[in-house]
Amino acid sequence: MFDFLIQGFGVALTPLNLGLAFLGALLGTLFGALPGIGPINGIAILMPLAYTLGLPAESSLILLAGIYTGSEYGGRMSSILLNVPGDAGAVMTTLDGHPLAKKGLAGPALGLSAVSSFIGATVAILGLTLFAPLLAIVAVKFGPAEFFALMIFAFASMSAMMGKDPLKTLIGAVLGVLISTVGVDSGTGVLRFTFDMPELYDGIDFVVMIIGLFAVSEILLMLEHAFRHDQDGEMAPIGRVMVKMSEVLYCKWAILRSSVIGFVIGVLPGTGASVASAVAYTTEKRISDHDNSFGTGNMRGLAAPEAANNASAAGSFVPMLTLGIPGSGTTAILLGALMLYNINPGPMMFREQPMVVGGLIASLYIGNVMLLLLNLPLAGVFARVLQVPRWLLVPSVAILAFVGVYQLHSDLMAIYLMLVIGVFGYLLRKFGFSLAPVVLGFVLGGLMEENLRRALSISGGDLAILWQSGLSIGLWIAAAAVAFIPLFAGRLKARFLPGRTA
Amino acid sequence: MTHAADRILSLLLLGLAAFIAVQAWHLEVPFSYDPVGPKAFPLLLAGLLALLAVVLFVRPGPNGEWPSGALLLRLLVVMGLLVVYAALFIQAGYLLITALVSVAIAWLFGASPPKALVGGVLLSLGSYLLFTYALGISLPTGSWIEPLLGAN
Repeated sequence: MFDFLIQGFGVALTPLNLGLAFLGALLGTLFGALPGIGPINGIAILMPLAYTLGLPAESSLILLAGIYTGSEYGGRMSSILLNVPGDAGAVMTTLDGHPLAKKGLAGPALGLSAVSSFIGATVAILGLTLFAPLLAIVAVKFGPAEFFALMIFAFASMSAMMGKDPLKTLIGAVLGVLISTVGVDSGTGVLRFTFDMPELYDGIDFVVMIIGLFAVSEILLMLEHAFRHDQDGEMAPIGRVMVKMSEVLYCKWAILRSSVIGFVIGVLPGTGASVASAVAYTTEKRISDHDNSFGTGNMRGLAAPEAANNASAAGSFVPMLTLGIPGSGTTAILLGALMLYNINPGPMMFREQPMVVGGLIASLYIGNVMLLLLNLPLAGVFARVLQVPRWLLVPSVAILAFVGVYQLHSDLMAIYLMLVIGVFGYLLRKFGFSLAPVVLGFVLGGLMEENLRRALSISGGDLAILWQSGLSIGLWIAAAAVAFIPLFAGRLKARFLPGRTA
Repeated sequence: MTHAADRILSLLLLGLAAFIAVQAWHLEVPFSYDPVGPKAFPLLLAGLLALLAVVLFVRPGPNGEWPSGALLLRLLVVMGLLVVYAALFIQAGYLLITALVSVAIAWLFGASPPKALVGGVLLSLGSYLLFTYALGISLPTGSWIEPLLGAN
């Protein structure tokens, strides 16, 4: 059963791929640590690099996965040292991480978060290795109707769990799906929403979309940020760099519990690191906060979200690799990257592309060890990245965005389109949307329509096929449950706990 | 903390949904065995979007601060710079236009003029060397330089 893993290590241990895993880990940490960039922007900006190098599919996926996990490591730096979370998943890290840094324990806090991240990721990668092949066996039974229901489930669980505002999450997802309908309709060859522009016939290019949405809008947001607060917070000195064994042991149960929580939540499609770290933090606070010291610099309060954060990052590979449904906005980007190589993620991938899947999982093991080795001794060096001034950072982001799109298309239209999408992304963010659902909708939209239409052409147009098998009925019920439970949970809480507001 | 922005957004979304519906409706479908065709999915989405927009109108949420005055002007200037960057990317050549745009952006982000000048020029040179020699990307030299090079 684990042939794919043995094969995978064979792929991942070639010098080229080892080098790429290292490069990805390094670049990911650096970009994740850059102020205001954060994991998802880091991947968006670095993604074209994987194509530029002209790598085979498994190698570029290894590079991207290294960047992904690395940026999760790097993202914690600005959370702990500056109290500025790089993305939603890092918010919980600031709660106890920054107080620790203020106490003069910045170095140990960074070390502890590296160790917790390592353990969280390891638990989750083990889970991925065991669980993914099993799920892939079930997934083979999925027909187009089941896939359609599964995607509805993914959007339902995403809107229930991701972000503050379920309504805007849904609107964002619908907008993303709509953008995916631009271009030639694969079923009939009809041009949709192209407005007679030949550049749009193939649809909106994935790289153009991602770079515009994240990098260009980030430039505008950074300008606002710089204008409103002239200076970032004072950076805490690093102090002693290594974390003590006793400090890690103090947190061992917190780390293990949170790793499992993070993995399970990461596996659910549509729910990513932000939910995982929040659930882990509140659980840990309930279990082990005896002296009410969470929030004032308790090491467990730092270890829990960090372990969960990284566990969910690896966990979200499970639905992506087995079902083709990304578990988070970031894995949605990775999925889009896979599709550019004409690899259709889904249940058949485990059989048809064992090199890619195995190589990726093996490289997660390797990358994780590399990240620990990089991050423990070099935390102080990476922390310097935080002091890169904005006036140097912003032109660099612009350069990377322009060159990234130009080298793929050698075409000015693509760059203009990127700028337009950038303004669109900026407006969305100002209206309080998070971008992850938009990306998820954009990536899944094509598959969703394709599966719907395939199902209906099997049944000759009869809608009932969508809920005929036990599997699809189960998925519809699950989708309804996740969509409505938060609504009822809020009411129940209000009824039984009148003193507290939910 | 105003709810007006969400109301405006919901009207925009309604307009968008109507636009999509009309566009999709007018798609001409050739004969095919596909019982659904290219119209249904966009129409379904337009309907869903309209529904969500109505909900948003009834239950708007608070919004962040919207830029105005000097900040809005700066945002427009940066956007304008990026458009200029795109427009002259090929004609002016990578080295020149990247240096100019980087200097301008750095200055807008609060660097002192000498710092912006040195930083922008170094950024342009450094990234050019990195992209061309380390990553093998060919960047535009600029249509005004090429005749000069050809004359040699």
